[in-house]
Amino acid sequence: MRVSVARVRFHPALARVQHITPRARYATTAPTPAEDYDIVIVGGGPAGLALAGALASSPAVYATSRIALVEAGSLDKVREWTMGEGEFSNRVSSITNVSREFLHGFGAWDYLDQTRTMPVEEIQAWDGLSSARITFNTSDIPSSSPARSPHLRPSQIATMVENLNIQRALLRTLEDKPDVNLLDNVKVLSITRNSADETDDYPHLTLSDGRTLRARLLIGADGPSSPVRAYTQISSYGWAYPTHAVVGTLFHRPHPLGLPNATAFQRFLPTGPIAFLPLSPTAASLVWSTRPELAAAMKQLDSAALARYVNAAFRLPWLSLNYLNTVLLESYASGTPLTASQAEEEISFRQQAHSIDASSALSSLQTTIGVPAEGSDSFPPLIHSLQRGTIASFPLRLTHADSYLGSSSQGRGRTALVGDAAHTCHPLAGQGLNMGLADVCELVRCLDAGAQHGSDLGTQVVLQPYARNRYAANHSMLSVTDKLHKLYALQSWPAVWARSTGLEVVNELLALKGAIMLGGGAAREEPNAGKAAMRFAADAVEVGASTLYGAKALLSGLGSIAGTVVGKAVGSLITNAGKQ
Amino acid sequence: MLSVIPRQLGYSTRLFRHFATNAESLASPTVDPIEIEHFSKLSAQWWDEHGELKMLHRMNPPRVAWLKEKIAELRDLEGEPSSPSWKALGGLRILDIGCGGGLLSESLARLGASVTGVDAAASNIAIARIHQSHDHSLNNLVYRHAAVETLAVEGQQYDAVCAMEVLEHVDEPKNFLKSCAEVIKPGGHLFLSTISRTPFAHLLTIAIAENTLHLVSPGTHNYDKFIRPSELIKFFKDLGWLTGTYEDRPNAQEAEVRGIMYFPGNGDWQLSNRGSSWGEQCNYLFWARKPKTP
Ligand SMILES: Cc1cc2nc3c(=O)[nH]c(=O)nc-3n(C[C@H](O)[C@H](O)[C@H](O)COP(=O)(O)OP(=O)(O)OC[C@H]3O[C@@H](n4cnc5c(N)ncnc54)[C@H](O)[C@@H]3O)c2cc1C
Repeated sequence: MRVSVARVRFHPALARVQHITPRARYATTAPTPAEDYDIVIVGGGPAGLALAGALASSPAVYATSRIALVEAGSLDKVREWTMGEGEFSNRVSSITNVSREFLHGFGAWDYLDQTRTMPVEEIQAWDGLSSARITFNTSDIPSSSPARSPHLRPSQIATMVENLNIQRALLRTLEDKPDVNLLDNVKVLSITRNSADETDDYPHLTLSDGRTLRARLLIGADGPSSPVRAYTQISSYGWAYPTHAVVGTLFHRPHPLGLPNATAFQRFLPTGPIAFLPLSPTAASLVWSTRPELAAAMKQLDSAALARYVNAAFRLPWLSLNYLNTVLLESYASGTPLTASQAEEEISFRQQAHSIDASSALSSLQTTIGVPAEGSDSFPPLIHSLQRGTIASFPLRLTHADSYLGSSSQGRGRTALVGDAAHTCHPLAGQGLNMGLADVCELVRCLDAGAQHGSDLGTQVVLQPYARNRYAANHSMLSVTDKLHKLYALQSWPAVWARSTGLEVVNELLALKGAIMLGGGAAREEPNAGKAAMRFAADAVEVGASTLYGAKALLSGLGSIAGTVVGKAVGSLITNAGKQ
Repeated sequence: MLSVIPRQLGYSTRLFRHFATNAESLASPTVDPIEIEHFSKLSAQWWDEHGELKMLHRMNPPRVAWLKEKIAELRDLEGEPSSPSWKALGGLRILDIGCGGGLLSESLARLGASVTGVDAAASNIAIARIHQSHDHSLNNLVYRHAAVETLAVEGQQYDAVCAMEVLEHVDEPKNFLKSCAEVIKPGGHLFLSTISRTPFAHLLTIAIAENTLHLVSPGTHNYDKFIRPSELIKFFKDLGWLTGTYEDRPNAQEAEVRGIMYFPGNGDWQLSNRGSSWGEQCNYLFWARKPKTP
């Protein structure tokens, strides 16, 4: 039964009970009475909008609940978001097939501007030191997995979509759902319990426009610094990585043979992974996790200089790339950012030291269009520039709330967390938003069941299965990304030496693969993504030609710089590490 | 497995008998605020999902699902139009006897029924009303401190009557069931849940739950008051309601008995399959339908 908009504070049938404490009831009541809602979602990011959209498509929930979504920013800006053809927003997510099915299920997928999405058919990931490499594609998805679906191209692993494209599509699904009240340009200022009545356990939200909402169920989809989480007093565990992610939209030439841009590339450098995520035949998204000072220096570079640096980061042996980092930092410190021609000169010099020919696939320098060099499919296309205004950086953190539900025994019941409000992770497996969408999918399932049972949707009986079914799955995903980040970021030479042999990293790359392939929902059947990754071990490793190629390049590189101070230092470190 | 209502919070209890006279006065406008505070605390305790009534809170969704399913099944059988699942009880007048703090009553009201919740303990009615006062959507629910016998005398009639976890606590089950039968409209439904008098039930409820594990207070259960499904069936056969028990196809004049078991692992209650008898060894649900014509 739909609650009427005019709020009646007390039910007439209860007059007798209410009657008894008039003083206590009205003493501190705000001048404007609280508006009652069954479900209040705080946050209109991708998780909050997906939740609103999916709830509106559950007939049981939509027919029986008054729903509001509160967003500090402007949703009209999202609704009206457009971008020129060939240009892309810098916030892009790789959407797993499981997430895609979920969005498809309530019609949101159909509202995406499909011309701006890009299917990913292959992922290549390799180690920055040894060049040990794995390539994976759909043959690695178990045929029973929900990630295999008739709606998908058979060869599709994931889809690259701009976050704003998703958010706009979600808003469109809500256009014919007037009973979901979208309150934007308003901030949640505070969340409290009714001070006048202890037995009223409904959270009360005070908004920046002076309104008060009273929520049967309050859901925090309000991102990493969640005010809802603060109200629930749920502590969270985690740490900041000494790492920032630099993002931007990369431009490159179309493939000389006209092949589609359907491969994602990720190279694991000791400073963090750099990823190339395809968006169109001539554009891709950059996610480069690196040390904060390097991120700051990169953001000062002009588009052409940064493009050269990105090309080198995918190709140049680590020793030289690390040297380039030093040059970058020095020029940044002196207030004269590296120019494109200086960058090119440095890279060219380094390549000569490694005997990398300008026409080889390992060369970061643009050559005239011609037949692609042998092995060039192992590297992303050469970037010539970045889209104006798209270069930005984000600090990276791992956080996991101790619980997804506020404790009713501590008076913080009727609350749940989803998405980045509940967990944040390193973007190396591209799973953050996918985890949030899997949360939303499960929470909606629970609320739908609750509505069918006539349950109070704010109660633990309804919400507990959500927490039970999502917590462990998210936790293993967070652990895998955390472990991978740490393994690759190890700078001690014995560890680097062990890795440079290419043997250690194979397992790590498999774990990454497990995380990517099983992410965002499939992990429900397979809660331990690490273990799942191992299942792939038998069939999917490809420490193939590219590895040998890379290893040879590394060795010859070392040989040619052996006479330098760095070369001697490296030589002795390797010898020592070998003895240990 | 065991009665899910501990003695202190149950249908007729010594603790509440003490408060009962005071709770009575909740009906009067001149009540001491201290009284209200007291019942507010009890209400919070009753509704605490992690508290003493945890198992009862957990039991609610499966028993509501079963109740809905039975009503939908009968509607279907008689060619009546079906309602959407979230309003499955729309248009029905339902009486919830022994409503306690109102757990079942609230759910039935949300599913569209017009619900009257009654309890012999005035304190429970106070608890239920306080809880209802916070949920501004529950407009089709009223609570009364009354016994079913009173409603029968008043000539009240309902489409369905529920008496969940009550039978094991009443002194005169036959009279109680007769009064229940009286307030049901011809063609209406009776839903019961209780504990069977079997050695297994004795072991679980009294020997283990009360004396060994102290899950519920000693003295909560009186084994002699437990009633077997076969005794209920005989009672309703004698009353002329039944032609048999459920075999394999739903039949309007056959009782249905379903065991319900608590699984501590995931904290869920599960119903036994129709026709299987394992679950009836202890806690069970019982449904019967009053004939349309006497
Ligand atoms: C560099 C980078 C790359 C990434 N790549 C991927 C990827 O490839 N795949 C993937 O799945 N994920 C990826 N992620 C993660 C993904 O971007 C996030 O998980 C996702 O955006 C989180 O969405 P959310 O809706 O939970 O939170 P947010 O997007 O943070 O939304 C929270 C919303 O709450 C609102 N809000 C906060 N406080 C208040 C308040 N007091 N009142 C009102 N409103 C409030 C905010 O305005 C905001 O709109 C990446 C992240 C980064 C940093």
